[in-house]
Amino acid sequence: MALKRVFVANRGEIGLRIVRAAHAQNIEAVIGVSDADKAGLGAREADRAVVLGPGPAAKSYLDAKLVVQAALATGCDGLHPGYGFLSERAKLARLCAQHGIAFVGPEADVIDGLGDKLRAREMARKAGVPLVPGTDEIASAADAVKAAEHVGYPVLLKASAGGGGRGMVIARNPAEVEAGFAKASAEALAAFGDGTLFMERFVPEARHVEVQLMGDGQGGVLHFGERDCSVQRRYQKLVEEAPCAAMPDHLRKQLHKAACDLAASVKYRNAGTAEFLFDVAREEFYFIEVNARIQVEHPVSEMISGADLVQEQLRIAGGAAPSLTQDQIDLTGHAIECRINAEDWQRDFMPVPGTVTRWRPPSGEGVRLDSHIYEGATIPPYYDSMVGKLIVHGKDRTQAVERLQNAIADFEVEGVPTTLPLHAKIVAHPDFIANRIHTRWLEQTVLSDGTE
Amino acid sequence: MAKDNFTDLEQLLAEFEASDLTELHVRHGDLEIFLSKDADAAGLGGGPVQVSTAKAPVKAGKAANPSAATASAAPAVEIPEGAVIVRAPYLGTFYRSPKPGAPSYVEIGQDVSDETEMCLVEVMKLFTAVRAGCSGKVAAILVDDGAMVSADQPLFAVMPA
Repeated sequence: MALKRVFVANRGEIGLRIVRAAHAQNIEAVIGVSDADKAGLGAREADRAVVLGPGPAAKSYLDAKLVVQAALATGCDGLHPGYGFLSERAKLARLCAQHGIAFVGPEADVIDGLGDKLRAREMARKAGVPLVPGTDEIASAADAVKAAEHVGYPVLLKASAGGGGRGMVIARNPAEVEAGFAKASAEALAAFGDGTLFMERFVPEARHVEVQLMGDGQGGVLHFGERDCSVQRRYQKLVEEAPCAAMPDHLRKQLHKAACDLAASVKYRNAGTAEFLFDVAREEFYFIEVNARIQVEHPVSEMISGADLVQEQLRIAGGAAPSLTQDQIDLTGHAIECRINAEDWQRDFMPVPGTVTRWRPPSGEGVRLDSHIYEGATIPPYYDSMVGKLIVHGKDRTQAVERLQNAIADFEVEGVPTTLPLHAKIVAHPDFIANRIHTRWLEQTVLSDGTE
Repeated sequence: MAKDNFTDLEQLLAEFEASDLTELHVRHGDLEIFLSKDADAAGLGGGPVQVSTAKAPVKAGKAANPSAATASAAPAVEIPEGAVIVRAPYLGTFYRSPKPGAPSYVEIGQDVSDETEMCLVEVMKLFTAVRAGCSGKVAAILVDDGAMVSADQPLFAVMPA
């Protein structure tokens, strides 16, 4: 029942990554591309490339019917959605199921349930997973003020349907709650078509930790350790590492168990990530959400576990059991990843499309690059600006940081500006080296010297 | 008017030749041009591997209401003497309204001031609102909604008050 031919419904580095993982499993790969990506590495390495439509994603990568049509027309028996685009749209999973295509991900109903933050919180509560002190839906600004007394200041107002920081307001007192309620609700309505809000305690200095999971769809769930993704700008991750070196072992065990319990409670299938807020001072963690897809930063978990998560995904989608048991997943050393974006970070992270005229990635022990870029590659203006992920592995965090510093220094890119110079600054910063960071560290420290 | 168009076309060809771009697709009113440096390019008709007809609804919508399409595009060609040109901040997609289906930011004949938002330009998920930067009346809208614009490309002509 193993998959024979998988449709790759994505582009960029992850599109290429899926093509290569399929080939490693002797599975044929058909990639759907837009006009803008016809000449890309993904299209070149796949067994076949089909043009979905013009450059703009709405007319190509984001059209679920079109994508499934293309998968059917090319005789695919599986479909991998990657991350972003349609990866967490239950509609795509449902269309695949209707047409007898194995969706490489969870079932549509599970995606729906986890995609709604209030329902996801309810699932977590039932599974005994700690939640940040907070509320259910809040009906009015007056109710919000009342609720904030119980939650404890400062509080965070969040959109139920939200993500990416939109529809989110921090309030330190009743007046700010009242003003913030109207603002967050209006923002949420504009961004997501739904103004429903809920409230959480705000942890001023928190780390973002997350557990990499792989479910067999029958209640069996493996974990591949946790990641620390605290280097962020506007809720976007820039640097991710594994493990979370700041977490004590006893807490780590509880974290892994909580994540596995949650996934098992919904008979989670395929790869997923449970995200948590880690309150370092209180030594507590609180559930945030589950991302029902493979994530950008999955390579750091691969580097410490030796597993190939995308190949595991394809195996599970083909009906097989994971190739490993929990006992066989041995987590060793430390890995760090930098997301390299074609952005001018000194001009407010302005994305810059164009042609890469020079591309000389570093190499060496413990260095890995996941990228679809080559010299002469064009970065189209239609999609996100990520051009690659530089990943290093070392025997401990100190060695990993050293290797990353050297790898960044050796990386030569010309033609478009990239975030590499910012990464060089981050990994040379005393706070980063000493691992004294939190989710707002980057904005408050490295980016606060007038360039923002 | 036809003569002006051909002058523009020659200039466009020259700029395309000199640029790093490999493909350029321009649609302006009834005129549609597809330029490519790749001999195997699919062109306007779509290539042999095309499995989709998804582009159809967009064009069909335009064709079904040709008078509206020409009405909004026709005045765009003439830039009145003395008008201030509002330009694209960078290469990206030009949007006349904040989101699909929403009313346009501005229409021809509308009064605008310095801070009036005229349109959005999007590149790689970064949306920037373009402001008028002057006071006056919108005299011409020079680009179709959803078109790709280059840095500094004229978007609007505003007649100063």
